[in-house]
Amino acid sequence: MGDAVGHLSLGRVLRILALPAALVAVWQAWGSTLATTSRVPLPSGVAAAAWEMITSGDLQLAIGVSLTRVLLGFGLGAGAGALLGLAMGYLRPVERNVDPVVQTFRMVAAIALVPLAIIWFGPHGQAAVFIVAYGSFFPVVVNAVTAVRSVDPTLIRAAKTMGLRTVEIVRQVVMPAGLPTLFVGLRLGMGNAWGAIIAAELTVGATAQITVSSGISSTATAASGGIGFLMFYLYDNRVDLSQIVVAMAAVGMAASTIDRILRFAQYDLIPWTRYAR
Amino acid sequence: MPADTNGTVLRLERVAKRFVNQRTGSESRALEDVSLTIEHGEWVSLLGPSGSGKTTLLNIIAGLELATSGSVLHDGRPVVGPSADRGMLFQEYALFPWKTVTENVQFGLRYGPKGAGVSRAERERRTSELLRLVGLTGAERKYPHELSGGMKQRCALARLLAYDPQVLLMDEPLAAVDAQTRAVLQEELLRVWGETSGQRKTVVYVTHSIEEAIFLSDRVVVLARDPGRIKEVMGIKLPRPRMSELRTGSEFRQLVQRAWNLIRDDAYRATLD
Repeated sequence: MGDAVGHLSLGRVLRILALPAALVAVWQAWGSTLATTSRVPLPSGVAAAAWEMITSGDLQLAIGVSLTRVLLGFGLGAGAGALLGLAMGYLRPVERNVDPVVQTFRMVAAIALVPLAIIWFGPHGQAAVFIVAYGSFFPVVVNAVTAVRSVDPTLIRAAKTMGLRTVEIVRQVVMPAGLPTLFVGLRLGMGNAWGAIIAAELTVGATAQITVSSGISSTATAASGGIGFLMFYLYDNRVDLSQIVVAMAAVGMAASTIDRILRFAQYDLIPWTRYAR
Repeated sequence: MPADTNGTVLRLERVAKRFVNQRTGSESRALEDVSLTIEHGEWVSLLGPSGSGKTTLLNIIAGLELATSGSVLHDGRPVVGPSADRGMLFQEYALFPWKTVTENVQFGLRYGPKGAGVSRAERERRTSELLRLVGLTGAERKYPHELSGGMKQRCALARLLAYDPQVLLMDEPLAAVDAQTRAVLQEELLRVWGETSGQRKTVVYVTHSIEEAIFLSDRVVVLARDPGRIKEVMGIKLPRPRMSELRTGSEFRQLVQRAWNLIRDDAYRATLD
């Protein structure tokens, strides 16, 4: 069954890699025309930096720490968002009262909460998890409301004429019918989560740097603060742009892998949309 | 009226329904003073042009909408909401797209009150029997989007019969299928209803097709519009079982002509809305 999206043929791999390879080639060619004093990171330098960061284990450590925070924060934020969205979509009074609050806070970027988060949770991982949860909450809430609203009313009427209680209608009709739309929110929320984690770790890192002053002395220590913290450290202490580019690429790859897993989950959980539309 | 009737199942007393337009505040009278009794085992069709309130009336009988005034009694008890004793067939099929044919048919038994005390084995037995009855054997594991319109309505019919409602309400169930499929399914509906067995359920059938109403029904309730109301109740004494040859007979043609005379003016005005 998985062939439609799952099968990676050689041709498909080549097609996926063609554009990135071309971009890297252009980047290298353009960079080699610049003076050696320029601070533009080049593919060759980035590759060397990547090798160094992988063999030392710093990159894996940093990504692992950040990924844990992303999953934890996303789980909290998306879970709360899905439940609140379900309630808002199904119960008009809840929607009328809660929607203005949601719409207002939705416009406040997750990074704006960094000062609050640091004061509440200290310059630790908890603050980052909180900011990720905040960032992933809103796309899920908004899409969960839409998901409930877009359920074909005839399906609900059909379930009513079969005598189903409201609880069963929500469980057996509203939730499965809304699942495809909810997944849109989950994927957007996961994107926000990655945006939030970098912002949070960069600033939390900066704060920690100030608080502990010279406490952080090695890349390894910085890496244990997550990929954003590592990026701040590289910027602040080493001014090593190649390593920062490695960190950026690692985030992109980790985030797109998670997104791909979500898409597979969607494909598995929602078999009826495989061929429809 | 069929010979095997034994009492009134549905009694409508002076049912009226008014809608208020939220924007203009003006009131429209969808139904006015509808009184009707429907006997056990009877097939009654509600026939009328668009705007005559026939679907609204069916929804009120189902309990999906409430009458503004008047009352609906089912077995002597007032209808205050939907019930598994009054099942419904929808024009848009209303199959659950995330469920296979089998799961759709079992839906009412698994999640509704009619499933209490029905064992899994009994559920399976009933499902395969119904799928055979409607001609869907072999499609058990298909999803609705893999079915044609005709197959979807067959599946919806099996789902309706699975939880054994006392009254079957059908809201233009064949309006969305092509003409040949419709002719076939009309006879299928009569066969499944039990035209030959005598174990007939009460059916209230909404349609805007005169021929369909006459072909299927024991009585045709012709509705007029502005306001929606009963114009005339036609008794259809054509013999059962009814086969498609009946449609060309002179008695059938005369009934069609009479019904058309009743609704022609309203149908004409409906095209000017």
